[in-house]
Amino acid sequence: MEGYIKPPVEIRYADELKVLAENDKGRRPENWKLSPAAVRTFIIGGTVETPEGEVKISRKFYGNDALVERAVITLAGSRGLMLVGEPGTAKTMLSELLSAACCGCSTNTVQGTAGTTEDMIKYSWNYALLLSKGPCREALVPSPLLIGMEKGIFARFEEITRTPAEIQDSLISVMSDQILNIPELGDEGLVLARPGFNIIGTANTRDKGVNEMSGALKRRFNFETVKPVGDVRLEKKIIIQEAENMAAAGHIDMPVDADIAELLAVTYHELREGRTAEGTAVEKPNAVMSTAEAVSVYFQTLSHAWYYGGGRIEPAVLTQSLVGAVCKENKDDLGKLRAYFNTVSKEESKAGGLWKEYLNSSKLLN
Amino acid sequence: MERIPEFLEAAELSELNENTRLLFFPIRHHSPVCSYQLKKTAERFSPDIILIEGPSDANELIPVLTAEDTVLPAAIYYFYKDKKKLVSEDAEDHRCYYPFVNSSPELNALKLAKELGIKARFIDLPYCEILINTAETKGLRKSGKQNYADDSRLTSGELYRALCEKTGIRTFEEFWEKHFEISGLTLSPQEFLNVMHTYCLMIRNSTSDDEIKLDGTAAREQFMAEQILSAMKEHSKVMVVTGGFHSAGLFRLVKTGNVKPFRLHKIADDCKGCYPAAYSYEAADALRGYASGMPYPYFYDMIFERISARHDPSGAYDEVTLDLLVRTAKESSKQDLPVAISDVTAAQTMMSGLAALRNIRESGIYELTDGVTSSFIKGEKTIASSLPLDILARLARGDSIGHIGDKTHTPPLISDFEHMCEVLRLKHLSSMRQNAECALFTSAKGLPLSRFFHMMSYLGTGFCTLVKGADLRTGRDRNRVREEWVYQRTPQVDAVLIDHIADGFTVEEACRTLAMRSLRNERRCERAAGTAVDCFMMNIPIEGGMERLADITSSDGDFFSVGMGMQQFETLYRLRKLYKYEDESSFKLIELCWSKLIAALPTMADVPNEQADKCITIMKRMGELSDTILPDRKEGLISALKLLIKEENKQPAVYGAALGLLSRFDISYEKTAELAMKGYLAGSLNIKKQGADFLKGLFSSARDIVFAENDFLRMADELITGMDKEDFLEVLPQLRLAFGYFTPQEIRRTAAAVASIYGESGHEVLYGTKIDEAVFELGRKLDSEILQILEGGKG
Repeated sequence: MEGYIKPPVEIRYADELKVLAENDKGRRPENWKLSPAAVRTFIIGGTVETPEGEVKISRKFYGNDALVERAVITLAGSRGLMLVGEPGTAKTMLSELLSAACCGCSTNTVQGTAGTTEDMIKYSWNYALLLSKGPCREALVPSPLLIGMEKGIFARFEEITRTPAEIQDSLISVMSDQILNIPELGDEGLVLARPGFNIIGTANTRDKGVNEMSGALKRRFNFETVKPVGDVRLEKKIIIQEAENMAAAGHIDMPVDADIAELLAVTYHELREGRTAEGTAVEKPNAVMSTAEAVSVYFQTLSHAWYYGGGRIEPAVLTQSLVGAVCKENKDDLGKLRAYFNTVSKEESKAGGLWKEYLNSSKLLN
Repeated sequence: MERIPEFLEAAELSELNENTRLLFFPIRHHSPVCSYQLKKTAERFSPDIILIEGPSDANELIPVLTAEDTVLPAAIYYFYKDKKKLVSEDAEDHRCYYPFVNSSPELNALKLAKELGIKARFIDLPYCEILINTAETKGLRKSGKQNYADDSRLTSGELYRALCEKTGIRTFEEFWEKHFEISGLTLSPQEFLNVMHTYCLMIRNSTSDDEIKLDGTAAREQFMAEQILSAMKEHSKVMVVTGGFHSAGLFRLVKTGNVKPFRLHKIADDCKGCYPAAYSYEAADALRGYASGMPYPYFYDMIFERISARHDPSGAYDEVTLDLLVRTAKESSKQDLPVAISDVTAAQTMMSGLAALRNIRESGIYELTDGVTSSFIKGEKTIASSLPLDILARLARGDSIGHIGDKTHTPPLISDFEHMCEVLRLKHLSSMRQNAECALFTSAKGLPLSRFFHMMSYLGTGFCTLVKGADLRTGRDRNRVREEWVYQRTPQVDAVLIDHIADGFTVEEACRTLAMRSLRNERRCERAAGTAVDCFMMNIPIEGGMERLADITSSDGDFFSVGMGMQQFETLYRLRKLYKYEDESSFKLIELCWSKLIAALPTMADVPNEQADKCITIMKRMGELSDTILPDRKEGLISALKLLIKEENKQPAVYGAALGLLSRFDISYEKTAELAMKGYLAGSLNIKKQGADFLKGLFSSARDIVFAENDFLRMADELITGMDKEDFLEVLPQLRLAFGYFTPQEIRRTAAAVASIYGESGHEVLYGTKIDEAVFELGRKLDSEILQILEGGKG
């Protein structure tokens, strides 16, 4: 893992995957690396009985466990899995975890953008080889979808609704018939999907209006809506855990301050819900107030403390980082953030200690 | 594994062999597995008597519950009137239900006893004693608690939370279905008893003695233990069916013999009682906040019926969930949310896959919910896209209502209600909300139906609500000849009817009693006339009502109360033939009210501003009456009005209305009014502002005055233009009201006249874009549909 910013899941958690695979007694769908029960344990955590004793598997996805179970069963069946939800709700992470656990590969991915073409979804050509040898297998550049079909592994399609609808629809025939025809290759051009192949899509509900999926494509997917974390304590735990991982990766040898994480978790939670813990209504910013954003703000604050602050995380720096994260799309968001600081400064539960220091830094919200 | 004390005690409690004389069978209310295992256990144990947890004052009703013509859900309804203040100093009335569905173990125990030809009886304290022995806000005295069958002890607390967390299960109900309902079907009676007793003992041991005492459990268990010991003297094999929480408590009491005889209070028969009542699945659903056993009662009833029909539990859950899945798909398709067969197949695959992943033998309601979530909802899960889940929840909950076949114990009032519903063809056997329309005068059924609905409303049953129709009390929409009602039978309807049993044997009789009682205690004419209107709508003649209403009117010294009362009597007088109401006393009451009002009218000149509108309304009614049904009283009115305008201090609007009325009788008063208005205009700013009020009163009683040869419009113009913006805004409401009495045609004429003051034609002063009538109609339709959707109806 050393030397990489973000190693893929199957490398990062290689030890856990190994233990699970070696001690997995459950039935596995063909070509899967783990049984559905072991996949669930890998994602939501648990213990594995090994001849050497009990091994703890860490929880990687927080939130709805039943959603994870449904996702696993969907992937073992004939329909694709579509994860939808607000930005920053760990859809991509879940899709990586599922791919790594089921297929041992989380990198077989198409990134959907406005510029995604059908070639990127199906196949394209190495034109030098194509010119010299004509259309042949050697000259073919397979897409992640084609690789998934041939190897019997999952293909991940990120941000599918950012892709034009007609391009999205090229998935329909593949998902219906499990066949991809490459007419240029003649008789050899028929690629049949191997068992284990499936598609995990992710779509951002904020992009819903960009390229709405066709009804025909929707019918070929089971949808799962990933909701933001609703529990402040859990959000704090995630912030701490993720910040610790990022700090370790960035060689920042500094403990994570749980109290600062709580300030951030409460702020994000209350702004997202539009209501404070004491029931006062506050205006929601237009910016995405996701847990992933909160982690990013925290890590920025932590880095500041490590490089400039002598190791202490200052609430004022947190406020400054917050401004950068919240006021991205709309300048009105700054006013909303200021109003939030003013509102909560009158609340009893936020009267003392670190909260006071944090709220006093509201003058930085300019 | 370490043997914790609960395991040892549970093993002792679960002993089931040839030497067993006393067997405690623990249950959860409405649980199919408990019913199934209860039957199996009884077959093996062969009891001589079955004792069941339930208030013992309902023992007489056991044959009604087990009768073949009783359709479930049904309930025993208990009431207690605490006149002796034994429960609290507030002397409140208390009531509660003990509901039964087909899967209720208590009911199956009763049926089993009937089949085996052995005795069965309830052994808990009578309802009133439970209340007396329960601390405020605890047990059956919790606020809003109206259900005897409470499982909240099994489903709350730290133990279940820890269990859910440990086993990775979302809720207690899901935990219960997996580990008890589905797994329990394959256990032997002995194993099942052991599992149930162990769980319930853990809950029991984590509950403090204080809590057990405060919520009445200690007293109830003392009484139940006494009944058990007494039964053991007469019978050699006693089976005790109680909530699992009580089994251990009773076992310990019986084992130690620490049972003191319980002394019951002497309570008059009319203060307590119980009746069998129809109940609904909706009310029996634990998810609806009634805390009465299991969620999704219809689903679990279907499970139990399937098990009973085939005498075999295997496959029951798979079959019933598949059936419900298909019904959900069909129902979704009916509501414009097409579900393809492939979606149903995908959902079923999901259900069986989840069952395997979760290590459950068959898929239950939670796997079914997950299957529908995953395969039927296309796109983001939102309130709108979750319709299939709502449909599933509704189907699993059930919407039918039970029926008590044996009417011996049914209160006559409920029998009459059901009889009336049948005569009028109202769907009272469904708990779904229904619509009914009454064409009051064109259909033979219209008036009787309307009267019945009004009676049910008058009793406060909550059975029906008038959506559209004339409101004769306020005089609103009096010209409507149709009424639209929504009605819905809920257990609450039966409960209220039972509360009225002392008022009469029929719905009509109860209404009459209530109306008479209301009049007996009434002192104000307005409210008494309101009761008369209610009786009119219900077609209930008031016996001796004329005298009583006359007494109330005579003794009421409030001008406004008498005035509003007169207005209501007038309504009755005018509509009596149309509504075929036989009471003729209304005319005399109008005369009586008139006499009182005419005497007081001159003194009303200086009423406070906030009462001016009410006073004007009464004056206008008097003017209209003198034109129509009381022409011989016209002179009296004129004299009273003349006296009024001579008063020194006059409220401007009342003054204006009086002059308006007088000008209708004598045109010379138009001039007086004109002079008065000029006086207001010539006054200081405050006096000038009163001019708007004066115009409001004047136009309210004589708007024609504007179109006569006079200066009113010019003066109104002067009033408006002579003020700055702030003052104008202050008088604007009065001016708006002043011109609010005109018809659109008259407003047009007025506008043209005002325009001519400025040398313009009527058209030139118009502004704004003309809207096409069709567009306006479309907007109105859209508005109404949106409103309907927002109110939860189908668009």
